[in-house]
Amino acid sequence: MVDMSEIGMAGESVIACEQVVRSYPMGGANVQAVRGIDLRIARGEFAAITGPSGCGKSTLLHLLGAIDVPTSGRVLVNGRDTASLSDREATEFRLRHIGFVFQRFYLMPTLTASENVELPLAEAGMDKRARKARARELLGYVGLGDRLDHRPTQLSGGEQQRVAIARALSNEPALLLADEPTGELDAETGVRLLELFGQLHRDGRTLVFVTHDAVVARAAQRVIRLHDGRVASDTVAHMRSGA
Amino acid sequence: MTHVLAAAAALACSLGAIGATPLEAQRASGQRDSGQRDSAQRGIAIDARMAEDLGLAVGARVRISSKPGEPGDSAFIAAIYERKADPAEVARREYRVRLHLDQLQQLMELDDRVDRFAVGTRDGQSIDSALARINHVAFGFRAHKSRDVAVQSSRTFRVVERFHFAIGIITVVASAVFLLCLLLLSVEERKRDIAALRLMGISRATVVRAIVIEAAIVSLIGSVIGAGIGWIASLIVNAHFQELYRTPLVFALLTPQIFAFATGLSLVLGIGSGAAAGWRLVKSSPLALMGR
Amino acid sequence: MRLMMAWATLRRHPARTTLAVLGIAVAAALLLDMVMLATGMSESFRSLLLTRGYQLRVSPKGTLPFDSEATIDGAGAIVRALRANPDIKAVSPTLGSTLTIDRSRIPSAFTLGLERDVQGDYTIEAGSDITHADSGTTAPLPRIVVSQTFLTRAGHAIGDTITISSGLDAQLRTSARSSRVVIGGMGRFIYVPGETPVIALDLALLRQLLGPSYRDRMSLAMAESRRGDSASVEAVRAWIATTQPRVTAISTETAIRQVEERLSYFRQLAFVLGAISLGIGFLLVATLVTLSVNERRGEIAVLRAIGTQRIGVLQQVFLEGLLLTSAGIVGGLALGLVTAQWLNGILRDFPGLPSAFDFFVWSPAAGWRALALLLTSGTLAGLLPAWRAASIPIARALREEAIG
Repeated sequence: MVDMSEIGMAGESVIACEQVVRSYPMGGANVQAVRGIDLRIARGEFAAITGPSGCGKSTLLHLLGAIDVPTSGRVLVNGRDTASLSDREATEFRLRHIGFVFQRFYLMPTLTASENVELPLAEAGMDKRARKARARELLGYVGLGDRLDHRPTQLSGGEQQRVAIARALSNEPALLLADEPTGELDAETGVRLLELFGQLHRDGRTLVFVTHDAVVARAAQRVIRLHDGRVASDTVAHMRSGA
Repeated sequence: MTHVLAAAAALACSLGAIGATPLEAQRASGQRDSGQRDSAQRGIAIDARMAEDLGLAVGARVRISSKPGEPGDSAFIAAIYERKADPAEVARREYRVRLHLDQLQQLMELDDRVDRFAVGTRDGQSIDSALARINHVAFGFRAHKSRDVAVQSSRTFRVVERFHFAIGIITVVASAVFLLCLLLLSVEERKRDIAALRLMGISRATVVRAIVIEAAIVSLIGSVIGAGIGWIASLIVNAHFQELYRTPLVFALLTPQIFAFATGLSLVLGIGSGAAAGWRLVKSSPLALMGR
Repeated sequence: MRLMMAWATLRRHPARTTLAVLGIAVAAALLLDMVMLATGMSESFRSLLLTRGYQLRVSPKGTLPFDSEATIDGAGAIVRALRANPDIKAVSPTLGSTLTIDRSRIPSAFTLGLERDVQGDYTIEAGSDITHADSGTTAPLPRIVVSQTFLTRAGHAIGDTITISSGLDAQLRTSARSSRVVIGGMGRFIYVPGETPVIALDLALLRQLLGPSYRDRMSLAMAESRRGDSASVEAVRAWIATTQPRVTAISTETAIRQVEERLSYFRQLAFVLGAISLGIGFLLVATLVTLSVNERRGEIAVLRAIGTQRIGVLQQVFLEGLLLTSAGIVGGLALGLVTAQWLNGILRDFPGLPSAFDFFVWSPAAGWRALALLLTSGTLAGLLPAWRAASIPIARALREEAIG
């Protein structure tokens, strides 16, 4: 295992965090969810952010995804300082450069699998025919080529998460972020999902996912462990299939 | 039917008031206007609206005639009276004048004619038997009970009453749908809370009962507030229309019966919709309500 | 895609959406009815007054047409003077009275004495028109026109011969003057209440029946200005007022204003109820959309997270409100027409109302007005929740969803 905090990865950085702090007012006091994190993630890297509940994992993920802005410090994604973006610019940035996968899938229940994948494409201004074709291609890629017209309620948890992944990939983002992607899935389904993540990584995509499960975290190439809002350890692990 | 009083209203009342000197002052001064006969100056009564609009007071002297341009008779304002609250007369701007019968007959050249008699019976006398006796000897006329006449002449009022009732039905339907919708929404909004209660072991019946009680309280409080707003609105409506039409008629009235009806209806709707919404939710499994 | 998503969101909760649409439909129906009521009375009365083209009414001084029993003396001179005015195209004198009907199920009927060639009070529906009363024993009996109500209540038919009288001495059961006439036709009397049995006959015949004192009297005259524009009509009215001091001339507009004043209660009621119904519709849409947004905070936050702009979310939520309103409007317009018929039927029962008068009158303008008001209300109702939805803080909403 290699400690990344000491060496750093060669290659272009997709993400660069410089002394990032994020605090929230809560019950009269100021709670620091993230306390001065320095972090770089290179293009094509597959990283997991792990740690106990309340250590700031999701907060960090939100900062990386330009959903949130740091209280102090800088977050650079593809060279852009996310704090300098207006809301419109940040939204556009997320649309074009970042794909999100959530623990609870968050598919639109009234849309089919294909229509869910088309959502970001429609937002990006793609015409209907092209959208449908792209959605078909992506769902085929995640193994759901025969589920195009199924609604989320007609899909299993694993299948719903795959649709969510396809949606996240629709605009060819530079970065794929996932927040506890296996949290709602059983172990076997979770393993298969991690295999898909592995495939995405082998296909050259940059992935960062958050998990509280250390076992799940070992599926990633690099494991960044947080504790109390700080990086406790940052190591590279070999990819293992299965467990 | 020819109405003597209506004819009186159509009189071309040439109200060129001959000064506005009160009668008492004239007597005191002992003066007499030339061309007037004191014995012909009889008192007439006019309605308050006419007095206000034409600036007439008790004692004012006027001239009345049946045709425009005719000299007619001179008279003085002996009394100003307030017209009764008759819905049929709302928005009609005509004035009303009361004269002694023989004076009007003389002015209108009607000889010994009247439109009708009003008959009052002594205490204890049967109206039906009086009616029968009059009709038995009636020759060329007929007697009716005042109540029957009132039923006919109040047709305008009854039409308005039916119209208001119809509007009331529509408004109640709209409000009922609104109430149902809101209560349904407010219960559905708390489905996770309900799911948590169920997971804790609270029975379906208890949950539904709690929702129904809450809906009943909300309906009751809403009714009371609504009645308060309605009462204030009725005051405003009455003040506005009484001023506009210059009538003592009451246009909107919140009675205990109306309040009881409104409260009862909203309670029924509130309890019904609360029960329906609550039952819909407790039928689903708690996990489904949680979204899992 | 936004429209599709908005529609899909509403379909997610069919019971709630159905109730909301129903509520909006009832409110829309009430609003349409009130718009029709506010404009209908004057429109109906205007078309009533202008049915036969007469824009001016000449009545005894200080009275409205047939508002009293007063009549105009020297009618012949007045009518000649009016007809001599080159700006006046036609004059129709009318005398109204009540005549008794011998041996009939109804003792009396309201009677109009008219000049057939210029009359503007009725249209023939069946049979033939009135005729003059020719002198001579071999002359055919004069013909009269009656209303359907007269035929029904009196139990007569076209072609029947009846005796009409005036000057009834109720005590002696004798009439001063009578005439036998033939019911020549049945007419629709424009200005007379539908429930009143009416007879129309030649003006000269009626005057003859009423006696010497009515020889030169009329209750009313209708006059038609040669040029129909309001300025010309007003000029003629002013000329009549100046040259004929014993009468009052009112134009159609003045008559409408006076009737509106008498019926102003309904206009004010229409305004108040219309405002209330708009308010109900507004509240319903605003409440439903707000609650829908509250329920979907996480979903909306995710939409923002995956790249939907604020304006996109705003449009989405706004469309939901608009769809609800539109669905309610469609149902409401149909329901409104039905309830308008019902309400109109109630108000048409007013005693003394001309049979052709309506309170609720449909016109495209009324429909458009109601539609515009409803759409505006629905638009505004959806705006605030839409703006709130667009302003949801993404990170906090996602955190709350995670905790929940």
